[in-house]
Amino acid sequence: MKKLIVILLLAVLAWDLGVIFLGLNFGNEHFTEGVKDQYLEKTVTELNVANTVTSIVVNFRGFDTLGEVTVLFLAATALGGILYKKRHHVGERSVLFPSSSLVMSGSKLLFPAIILLGVYVFVHGHLSPGGGFQGGTIIATGFLLMLLAYDNYSVSHNLLSIVESLAGIFFVVIGLLGFMNHGTFLENFLPTGTLNSLFSGGVIPIVYILIGFKVAAELTGVIYTVLHEKD
Amino acid sequence: MVGTPVLLVVIPLLAAFLIPLLGMIWKELVRIIPGLVLLYMFILSATLLNQVLHTGPIVEVIAGWRPPLGINLVFSPFSGFLVTLMTFIGLMVWIYSYRFKQNVDFEPAKKYFILLMMLVTGSVGIVLTGDIFNLFVFIEIVGISAYALTAFYTERNSAEAAFKYLFMGALASTFLLLAIMIIYTQLGTLNMADIASKMPEMNTTYKITALVFLLTAIGIEAEMFPLNGWAADAYTESPGPIGAAFAGIVAKAGVYAMVRIIFTMFDVDGTMQFMLYIGLITLIVAETTALRQDRLKRMLAYSSIGQMGLIMVAFGIGTAEGVFAALFLMFNHAIIKPLLFFSGSYLVYNSKDKFIHETNGMGKHIPITSILFALGAFAIVGLPPFAGFWSKLSILTAAADENMIIIIALILIVSIIELVYYLRVVNRIYFFKMAEGVEPKKPTLNALFVMVTLGVIILLVGFYPDAITGVLHKASGDLLDKTKYIQDVLLLNP
Repeated sequence: MKKLIVILLLAVLAWDLGVIFLGLNFGNEHFTEGVKDQYLEKTVTELNVANTVTSIVVNFRGFDTLGEVTVLFLAATALGGILYKKRHHVGERSVLFPSSSLVMSGSKLLFPAIILLGVYVFVHGHLSPGGGFQGGTIIATGFLLMLLAYDNYSVSHNLLSIVESLAGIFFVVIGLLGFMNHGTFLENFLPTGTLNSLFSGGVIPIVYILIGFKVAAELTGVIYTVLHEKD
Repeated sequence: MVGTPVLLVVIPLLAAFLIPLLGMIWKELVRIIPGLVLLYMFILSATLLNQVLHTGPIVEVIAGWRPPLGINLVFSPFSGFLVTLMTFIGLMVWIYSYRFKQNVDFEPAKKYFILLMMLVTGSVGIVLTGDIFNLFVFIEIVGISAYALTAFYTERNSAEAAFKYLFMGALASTFLLLAIMIIYTQLGTLNMADIASKMPEMNTTYKITALVFLLTAIGIEAEMFPLNGWAADAYTESPGPIGAAFAGIVAKAGVYAMVRIIFTMFDVDGTMQFMLYIGLITLIVAETTALRQDRLKRMLAYSSIGQMGLIMVAFGIGTAEGVFAALFLMFNHAIIKPLLFFSGSYLVYNSKDKFIHETNGMGKHIPITSILFALGAFAIVGLPPFAGFWSKLSILTAAADENMIIIIALILIVSIIELVYYLRVVNRIYFFKMAEGVEPKKPTLNALFVMVTLGVIILLVGFYPDAITGVLHKASGDLLDKTKYIQDVLLLNP
C-alpha cells in the first residue's frame, strides 16, 4: 500500500513536471527576448570573436568560468586530500594485469595525435567549436590511455601541480590586468584584431589556452590519483 | 581606498592557486597565507561597509559589461554586513586552527587550509553576487569545499556524513539549475535585479515551479526542515573548527540566498508565511531532537539547525522589525555558535565518542574554557544580560506587533527546551565529579585568544546593544527596499 502511494505521488509529480517542461517551448518566439540578441551582436562587433559560445563563456560570463575552474581545482584538491592515506605506495597500481602489446603500441602511436588534437581544440576555441575545457579533457584522455597501457608510465605530480597553479594564477592575473587598465575585472585590454583570424578576440584566446592547460593538468592528476589508489 | 568588492573573491582565488607553489618553497606559508588573505578580506569588507553605510551601495560590474549583459556584484549595507561577519568568523576559525595537524603530514594540512579559505570565499561570493547563475557557481565552490572538509578525517563515519552531504548537495545543484533554466527561458535574463523587475510578466505556473525548485535547492543549504538530514552528521563528523565555520558562515550564506530569492526576486503571495511556518517547524523539530542527544557536538549541531529555523521565522514575519530581529539573530548566532563549538571541542578533546557525560567536572581543570562555554550557552538561550537576550527580545516584539501570539508562545516554549539541554551540560561541567581516566586538554594560546575575543563580543553586545543595532537597522532597510535594489543595479551610471 505504501509503495502504491509513493508510485502514485511520483507519477503525479512526473506528469506535472512533464507538462511544465514541455510547455517551455524551446526554440519559440519568446526565446529572442532578453540578453540573447545583444550577446550575438556584441560578440562580432565589439569582441571580434567568431564563436559566440566562447565569448559568453570567457568574456561576458568569465567570472562564472573562473568559478568553475576553481570548482575543478577544489575537486582535484579534495580528492588528493581524501585519498592521501591510501597513496603511500606510489608506483603500484590497482590495475594488476599487463596490457596486450596491441594496446601498448597502439597507444604510443595515438598519444601524440591526441595531444595535438587537444591543443588544436583549445587554441582555436574562439574560432571553432570547442575550447579550453574540451581541449583539456582530450589531452587528459591521452594521458589516461598511456597510464592504462603502461605499468610504469608515470607523470610527475609536482609538475602537474605547477602547471595547474600557474595556469590559474595567470587567469586571475589577466583578469586583474583588465581591472587595472579599464577598471573592471576580466575586461579585455588587448586589441581585438580581425574577425576569424587566429589572433583575434583580445584576451579571450589567451584565457582559453590557460583554461586548457589547467583542465588538462587537473584531470590528469585526478586520473593518476585514482589509478594509484591502493587499499 | 583599499580595493573594490571584486577583490574579496579574486584575491582568495589567486592565493588558492598560489599556495601549492608556495608550499614547495616553505611549508609554513601554506598556513600563513590563508590567514593573511582572510585578514585582508576582513579589513577590506569592514572598510567598504563603513563606506556604504554613508554613501549607499556599491554595484560593481565585471568584464566591462553592464547588467543585465554581464555579471555584477552588489555590496550594499545588507550584503556588506554579512560579508564582514563571515570574514571575521573565517579569520577566527583560521586563528583557532592555525596549529591544526601540525605534527602530522604536510599534505592534509595544505588541503585543509586551501579548502577553509575557499569555504569562506564561496560564501562571500554567494552574498555579493547579483547574478543567479553566478550564485550557482559559488554554491558549488562552497559545496565542494564543505564535502571535502566533512570527510577530512577519512574514517567510516565522516565518509558517511560527507556522502550524505554530497548527495543532498548534488540534489540541490540539480534543482537550482532547473530553476535557473526555467527563469531564463521565460525572462531571458540571469541578472537578479532584472529578474525582479520582469517578474510580474512571468507566467504564474512557471513562476511557482521555479520558486519551488529554488526553495528546495536553497532549503538544503539553509538547513530547512525536512531537507536538513545531512546537517547534523556533517557538523558532528567534521573537525571542530569546521563545525564552527558551517554554523557561522555556510548556513548564513544559505539563509541569505533564500532571503534574496523571496524578498527581492519573487513576488508570490504567501512565501513569507511559508518561510514563517517552515522555520517554526524546523525550530521545534531541531530543538526537541537536540534535547535527546547524548553527544556534545551533535547536540550543538541540532541547536544550530534550530537557530536557523528561528532566523527563518524572524524573516517570515516580514516587517522591518522582523528583518531587524532576523539580522540580529544571525549576528548573534554567528558569534555564539562558533564559541560553543570551539570551547565544546576542548571539553571533549581526548574522548573518542564525544559523549556529554564526558564533560563531567571539566570546570575545575580547564576553568577558562568551561566558563566561556557556559557564557555561550547562556547567551544562545537568551538570558540577560548577554547578546542573545536582545535578539530574542526583538523577535518577540516583532511578533507581538503583528499579533502572532501562538508564535510567541511557541518560541518561548522552545527557549525553555533549549535552556534545559544547555543547563544540563553546564551542570555536568561544574557540579559533577570527573570520571577516572579522563584527561582534560589545555587549550592552546591561539584557541584561547579566539574564544576570549568571541566571549568579549558577546558581553559587549549584551551590555551595549546599540553598538550593532545602527548597522542592523540600515541593513534591514536596505533588504526591504526592493525598488532601490533594482534601480541601483539596472540604472547604473557608466
